Amino acid sequence: MMSLQIVSSFDEENDRWRIELSGEIDISTAKIFRETLEKVYQDKQKDISLHFDQLTYIDSTGLGVIIGAYGKMKEKNNRIQILNPKQNIKKLLTITSLDQILL
Amino acid sequence: MADLLKFSIPGKPEYVGVVRLAVSSAANCAGFSMEAIEDIKVAVSEACTNVVLHGSREENCYEVECTIEKDKLIILVTDFCGGYDTEKYLVPCMDKPKEGGLGIFIIRALMDEVDILSELGEGTKIQMVKYLI
Repeated sequence: MMSLQIVSSFDEENDRWRIELSGEIDISTAKIFRETLEKVYQDKQKDISLHFDQLTYIDSTGLGVIIGAYGKMKEKNNRIQILNPKQNIKKLLTITSLDQILL
Repeated sequence: MADLLKFSIPGKPEYVGVVRLAVSSAANCAGFSMEAIEDIKVAVSEACTNVVLHGSREENCYEVECTIEKDKLIILVTDFCGGYDTEKYLVPCMDKPKEGGLGIFIIRALMDEVDILSELGEGTKIQMVKYLI
């Protein structure tokens, strides 16, 4: 079954976290996604770039994780951003208006 | 004649992806475009996720029925988790995004018709319709 792969690294040059996601984020993988975001942000309180190039699916639980992180990071003036979402994911971001804060 | 496909799924997170694959496949058989298949997949997945999140016990099964008609696909997701008061559902406010509450909003945005019937003490039925073209 499709699952989620996460590769996180700190991009020294741009002073931000680079998180590459591939596979699917849904109710079965949202927890590990949440834990990854919490762990990196705890390690270094810097902006986070989520690279969605290889992500084929995200649902409301996955978006909820990003919204949660967005809220916490905003308090500290940090940003979380989605890069290169596929068309289907872009559509979901548009209908939920999340494109305005995450793209 | 309509074709009816019926699935019974345990209310565990790991099986929501199985429903997604099955329903995508059914929508493909029904002749939907790639974009419409994606809409159906997302909507059904959200309905299943709701059941898994709000269902009382993991061992509870829920049912997904796909009716393929000439001009539309009807999907019915039925759970036996005790129901809830649909009047109390709040439309999420996008100015102040928060976690949760997005699922139903997404379903309504992607499907042509959505009916939610919840009976307290029994369970909830979500019926979604997508028309061909």
